[in-house]
Amino acid sequence: MMARPNKPLSQEPRYRLITQVLRSNIISGVLPEGLVLLEGPIAALMQTSRMPVQAALRMLSAEGLVHRFDGRGYLVGAAGQGVAPLRRDIGEFDLDIPQQVDAALQMRGTWKHFYDEVEEQVASCQVFGEFRIVETELADYLAVSRTVVRDVLSRLQERGLIRKNASSHWIAGPLTARTLREKFELRAIVEPVALRLAAPHIDYSQIEDFRDRIGADPGLTPEDLEDALMEHCIAQAPNTALVAMIQNNQMLLTSVNRALTGLGLPEDEIALDQYRTLFDLIARHPIDSAAEYLRDHLHIMARKNLARMKIVAVISETVRIAPYLSAQ
Amino acid sequence: MALQDQPNTTPDLAAPPHTERRRLRVRGTSITLLKEVQERAQADLGFDVAYELLDFIACQRKSAMEPEGYDIYEQCFHNLDIVWFWGALQPIDTHRIADWGKITDLSKEGGISKYAWRGHGDAPVRKLYVQPGGFLGPKQGRHISMLPTVHNMDSFGFDTRIFGDGDLERPSWAWLLDRRAKGRIALVDEPAIGIFDAALAAEAAGELRFADIGNMTTAEIDALMALLEDRCRQGYFCGSWRTGEQAARQLHDDRVSVQSMWSPVYGNIGKMAETFVESAPIEGYRAWHGGASLSRQLEGARLDMGYEYLNWWLDGYAGAVMARQGYYMSAPESTKSTLAPEEWAYWYEGAAAARDLLGPSGMVVVKQGARRAGGTYHDRANRIAVWNTVMEEYNYATRAWHRFIGRVNEVQK
Repeated sequence: MMARPNKPLSQEPRYRLITQVLRSNIISGVLPEGLVLLEGPIAALMQTSRMPVQAALRMLSAEGLVHRFDGRGYLVGAAGQGVAPLRRDIGEFDLDIPQQVDAALQMRGTWKHFYDEVEEQVASCQVFGEFRIVETELADYLAVSRTVVRDVLSRLQERGLIRKNASSHWIAGPLTARTLREKFELRAIVEPVALRLAAPHIDYSQIEDFRDRIGADPGLTPEDLEDALMEHCIAQAPNTALVAMIQNNQMLLTSVNRALTGLGLPEDEIALDQYRTLFDLIARHPIDSAAEYLRDHLHIMARKNLARMKIVAVISETVRIAPYLSAQ
Repeated sequence: MALQDQPNTTPDLAAPPHTERRRLRVRGTSITLLKEVQERAQADLGFDVAYELLDFIACQRKSAMEPEGYDIYEQCFHNLDIVWFWGALQPIDTHRIADWGKITDLSKEGGISKYAWRGHGDAPVRKLYVQPGGFLGPKQGRHISMLPTVHNMDSFGFDTRIFGDGDLERPSWAWLLDRRAKGRIALVDEPAIGIFDAALAAEAAGELRFADIGNMTTAEIDALMALLEDRCRQGYFCGSWRTGEQAARQLHDDRVSVQSMWSPVYGNIGKMAETFVESAPIEGYRAWHGGASLSRQLEGARLDMGYEYLNWWLDGYAGAVMARQGYYMSAPESTKSTLAPEEWAYWYEGAAAARDLLGPSGMVVVKQGARRAGGTYHDRANRIAVWNTVMEEYNYATRAWHRFIGRVNEVQK
């Protein structure tokens, strides 16, 4: 698990928390090799929906801790060992759940229990076109009240993922190349400015730490570095309106990025080098050079995101679209 | 394959060890995956060449998402926007391509000559060279994404009984939306291809104007789709097609008067060829450029086989087979030395056929005295209006296009 120094566990996506719990219980042997892991019972145990459990199982499968087999769910252990499936209720095993993680899973506000799942579904549907969200159907789907649904919807609106049309219906999408291009153009205009303003307020030792971890810490992803750049550099600018505007502009991009990766699109492997250069420039050189580099970096990111937006076209619309979304 | 044909014999302890014949897996479309090419490649190269033939859309999707299923990927430069960026391919080292120097400027520079029309959209050169950061671009370098091979300038075919022989009224893309052919119009169903046939038609007919036809905005795509939907409701379209065989069938069934066409189809429509002919549109051609790429997972001895195969493609034989179905080669000089002089004169030089000419499979595809529409290779390559392109809004356009084609096919039921 990569470190996110200033992020409390309660703000971690739930799939990460669930991954952490399952991983440590597999490694310690609490969950025996061959045990059949099913989404439903795990979701019930963790008091979440199935979506984050699905994501957690995928991650563990990528790590080789669980594998798919000729049946529903996953088996604990690496593939190819020929272990017979062991079908037992996961509740029978006394899972070791660290108190902090348990608290984090509980502490999230009611709407937060569902938010990640809904956000991913709403963000990923947009590549397929325009969809309407019917409030009552979303309430049925989540089995919650309309009040909770409205909390979820207003958060989605805040992130720029949905809007109301003339007849007051909630509409998502379509996500176009133009939307992405415009958001990146805006980033390239305002973020270098904010970085310059932030220069006197940056804790440079922290930036050096990050730079040294690139390459040395395999858990560090481009997304982590983007977060760090925002948190430790840009957000330090002494202009809250500017910082809020930048954060707001990034929200849709972040959600879309996560959704596209969720749809199976390949991730960018070259970005780490750019962050290394960028953090190096910020830490050791006049801020102007870092600001210039940031602008170039954002141009490159824009091109990459536009290229990525094209390849979405081969993903078929038969990919699951949540039942509360209806194509317009 | 030879090994499978051997009779089943009882294993003999003294028998030589069983050795697998080497095999190269090629995934592609009907453009290049021809039996005649396969057989000759196997004979020349000494290893098996296993084909996987797919339609345009399936080939692009499967090659992007399942690169472990092939060694060589053969399709077009515009497909690289999908397949390359999905990370399915590896760069080709031009130092390992012996005839790299023989490839012409249309492939390497973007135009047949300095003064040729450049064409809207993405000329293959814009996807040819591997640039820093993994992008593709026109800046020359040692590594390329795809070895340029076969290409052509496409147009539409039309019924001379309705439109005349093209002398009095010069063929225009507008005919694809012409009232005279109402109910007998068909388009090719591939969003990076058919959409440009439709867009050229809409612009030529004065219905729409595109700021850049090679990179339409969502508003322009919406307007084009609205126009097509309207014509569809009025019953203009009789269908769509994805393969040359399907296009030929529309003609054999006497269902179309004007439709998108590919060169090999003209040789395959029997007596309909007397009245259904290739156009040389006044607005210019929609061009495409094919090639061959190496799968990401190729390495060692298998990678060497991949390079042997790529080099073989430029050697002349494949180019001659391609010429006989109306396609041009990126290294034409080797093709010229393999073709009969009268074949070269007809296909590349626009001369009247000195005798009946045979297609790749040995059928007569050109009658003595016929002339290729549009003239010489140079003349045709000079007049490229637009290249097949995966536009910025390709995802948006693709989904709109599929909805439209769905409607066209629904009406047919």
